[in-house]
Amino acid sequence: MSERDKERLSLIPVLAESHPSHHIGRTALMKYMYFLQTLRGVQLGYNFSMYSYGPFDADVLSDLSTAEAMNIVCSTQVSFAGGYGYRIQQAAGAPRIKQDANGFLSQHKAEFNDLQVHSEPALLVGVVNEIKPRFSRECVETSFNSLFEKGLLVSV
Amino acid sequence: MSRVNGLHKTYEIRCPVHGFISLNEWERCIVDAPAFQRLRRIRQLAWTDQVYPGAMHTRFEHSLGVLQTVSMLYSAIASRSSDVLKEDIGYTQDGLKRDQQLIRIAALLHDVGHSPFSHASEELFPENDHGLKFKHEQYSAAIVRTELRDVIENHPLNTANYGFRVEDVAALLEGSTKAKQRLFWRDLIDGQMDADRMDYLLRDSYHAGVQYGRFDLNRVSNTILAIRGTRGRGPRLGFSEGGWHAAEGLVLARYFMFTQVYFHKTRVAYDIHLKGALSEILPRGKFPRPIDAEIGDFLAWDDWKVLGELSAGRGGEHGKRLINRDHYRLAYHSPEISSPDDLVFLELIKEKLGNLVVSIEEASKNWYKTGATDIPIMSDVDPTLVQPLSKFSNMVRSMKANNQVLLYVRPEDSERANKIIRQEVENERTRQGTLEFDPGAS
Repeated sequence: MSERDKERLSLIPVLAESHPSHHIGRTALMKYMYFLQTLRGVQLGYNFSMYSYGPFDADVLSDLSTAEAMNIVCSTQVSFAGGYGYRIQQAAGAPRIKQDANGFLSQHKAEFNDLQVHSEPALLVGVVNEIKPRFSRECVETSFNSLFEKGLLVSV
Repeated sequence: MSRVNGLHKTYEIRCPVHGFISLNEWERCIVDAPAFQRLRRIRQLAWTDQVYPGAMHTRFEHSLGVLQTVSMLYSAIASRSSDVLKEDIGYTQDGLKRDQQLIRIAALLHDVGHSPFSHASEELFPENDHGLKFKHEQYSAAIVRTELRDVIENHPLNTANYGFRVEDVAALLEGSTKAKQRLFWRDLIDGQMDADRMDYLLRDSYHAGVQYGRFDLNRVSNTILAIRGTRGRGPRLGFSEGGWHAAEGLVLARYFMFTQVYFHKTRVAYDIHLKGALSEILPRGKFPRPIDAEIGDFLAWDDWKVLGELSAGRGGEHGKRLINRDHYRLAYHSPEISSPDDLVFLELIKEKLGNLVVSIEEASKNWYKTGATDIPIMSDVDPTLVQPLSKFSNMVRSMKANNQVLLYVRPEDSERANKIIRQEVENERTRQGTLEFDPGAS
């Protein structure tokens, strides 16, 4: 297993654990990885492209499967009204992989804890509105304003 | 560029997988373009014929098959889920018909950027400014923007009826937000249930002469649909409940094809030799970049050119091994689902073999690898109830990622390596105090 592999696998339990609930879903995992690489410049080697549901690289799910097979994380499926999701949590094998990737994790600790999105608001609203026309521009703007207020989006 | 007469003619091409594939005049002009005809000279499965002699098919017929498959799936979804597509994405009936033509063209051209011998040589793609290797989809988009611009934008069927620009096609191939609402269809071109995968499983299976990749495409088409999103999410592709066995068949077909064909030990050995030979043959060991100034040079590379270079003796040691069928041998492999302890033992074997190991290949790095699946199934009784395929299928639920690792040695070192491995396996058995230990040694 290459150093890059260890780094990517170690990130999954770290991201799950750093969430207040100590677990994350697959969508959140994909987006965290995307933000880390494209906005924070952490070299993960993923090659994301855009789908109607957001950025995606099958390698992230492949890494998740490997992490599950190696008991680094465990995934459980959760149901909610009309749909389902996944709960990814740290598992018994996590400390070992974290130890293996300790240098990488220490180096980027700040980035993992500060995943704010920096972008130009009007541009983002336009892009979201084009991909998801079922939401009115007003609705997208309201959502963005709410994210700004919560500090999850930062205007640049 | 295009034939002016007979603009509304339909052309039919025989296909061993789909029967007939129908093209309109515009699509036929695209197929006739040199950049597309080049795909006749790029084998779909590289040197797989060294294991399965029938696997000599090319990206050309696969690309036609993907057009046929995507069209069938698109029609099925548009008909079965028109309410979702209209209400959630804003389509009209005319809009759906119009975009079907664009999706057909994107599907037809999705592989036009393949390098010689397909995926096997992609490791020799150069890196972009961010240190990431270019992908063949980026080459496809670059070829669409340059070599195919005229035939796409200026064909009379396009100018009179659609007005599509090459950027519309490229955005779908690259996965860019410029594709706007059409991104919904990208899952049919490059996704878990894409037409690409459906065609290559059936086609590779047919040509390799194996049954592993077969699944019920007609049933897939009869049950695939757009499922309305919840919690503010958009619609996504899935299956009606009656189709979950068909979806399961697709997942299993991929699993079997990976273990039996795509990650076959000898096929993998030939990929190693091809990469080695190409790194000798290519200028500075890399393909040209997918940029305007270099895309012409890239297109000059096809299987014929590489075979000519190999025949001229320019492939180095790996080239000789390809010509003489003197491939590396698998010395040791970890189990398909390797535990951390299995990988530790593999490291021990690797260390003991030392310089005898000439290549290490990982299933998780293979282009055809199988990862987590997440196919939504919509309840027949309550359309608002959506559950993943793994909820229905015991087999899908039990599937884990294949993280097998293969260690290769030169054929002349094979016997020596086997002796060392046998000794280590024996030592491990003694350490574990059991005869049940299965190292997965070849």
